Amino acid sequence: MTFKPVLGILIGMAALRATSGAFADPVTVLYADREIQIDSTLPDASKLWVSPEELPRINGFEVKADGAVLGSLRVAVEPQGDGDLLMTREGRRWFNVTGLAQRLNQKFVHQADPAVWSFGPIPALRDAGRDPLEAPDFELPDRQGRPVRLSSFRGQKVLLVTWASW
Amino acid sequence: MAQDTGGETAAGPWYDRAQAAYTTLIDVKHTISSLYGMVNVPTGVWIDEKGRIVRPNEVAYSRDVGFLGISVKGSQYVAALRDWVEKGAASAYALKPEDVAQRLPKRTEAQDLAEAHFKLGLYFHFKGLAALADQHWEAAQKLNPESWNYHRQDWAFTPDQAGANWMAKYRDLGDKPYYAPLELEPQRP
Repeated sequence: MTFKPVLGILIGMAALRATSGAFADPVTVLYADREIQIDSTLPDASKLWVSPEELPRINGFEVKADGAVLGSLRVAVEPQGDGDLLMTREGRRWFNVTGLAQRLNQKFVHQADPAVWSFGPIPALRDAGRDPLEAPDFELPDRQGRPVRLSSFRGQKVLLVTWASW
Repeated sequence: MAQDTGGETAAGPWYDRAQAAYTTLIDVKHTISSLYGMVNVPTGVWIDEKGRIVRPNEVAYSRDVGFLGISVKGSQYVAALRDWVEKGAASAYALKPEDVAQRLPKRTEAQDLAEAHFKLGLYFHFKGLAALADQHWEAAQKLNPESWNYHRQDWAFTPDQAGANWMAKYRDLGDKPYYAPLELEPQRP
């Protein structure tokens, strides 16, 4: 007679564990010069699975019918069912950010505990589709914290010099 | 622009002393070194009115310097620069596009992976997780040993050993130059 309530509690706890264990802890993603917090991913030390809706704020890509797209870059994605880049788990769709990176020969590093993923540049964006002789644009703060863009100097010659206090 | 994880605090006093009349920026995360493939300081790039590179990465001292075995004729660099400011594309020091392309730094996969590690090093440094920062900075340095910038940023946080660290790596160069030599031959039109 005393078993039933105990059993009931045990089943309840098991169910709770299964649900919360399906998703990994929040992770931080370092992409370009940004730090992006992602609240839920799938537990996987070698792949970063995120909700497809999160993709744009990570790497600017959007998942469309014909693939993952950023400007003129398009990587084919299986729109239905489970593929390398897009799949269903726990009733949700998940996108494989590191899989996309591998397709683009983009390097990444995973640090477990604290969980951080860091991505290098996408070679195709750096090399092609852009005149290699064009000085890469950037925006950095001046000493008063005001943003300054290189492209704001168009019409003038620019000498760009980097140095350091160390 | 200051490739300086110490930010305005570290770089500011130097800009003040120089009484800079030019635009001075702070680049805590070494964004420019990454974008332009720079490995040491000071590095200069000439960019024309249309935003195109006229001379890519070169050692950019404003006067002749000599220390240890290193000698750089900064005065020649400045003379070439003045010539370009005056004459623009007609300057003998404005490189032809094919020469710019040939002098652009070559990118490797190892460098890209080094960058991912370097960013982790910065992230953990700012979080106060020094051991993790060191681990990733060392990985970056192993992957991109050409980058003095990676080493120097790391050494900046252990100033007592920085000099010895720099000297040890400098000795490891052997015959290789600390700065790639300036190639400032005027080009025929």
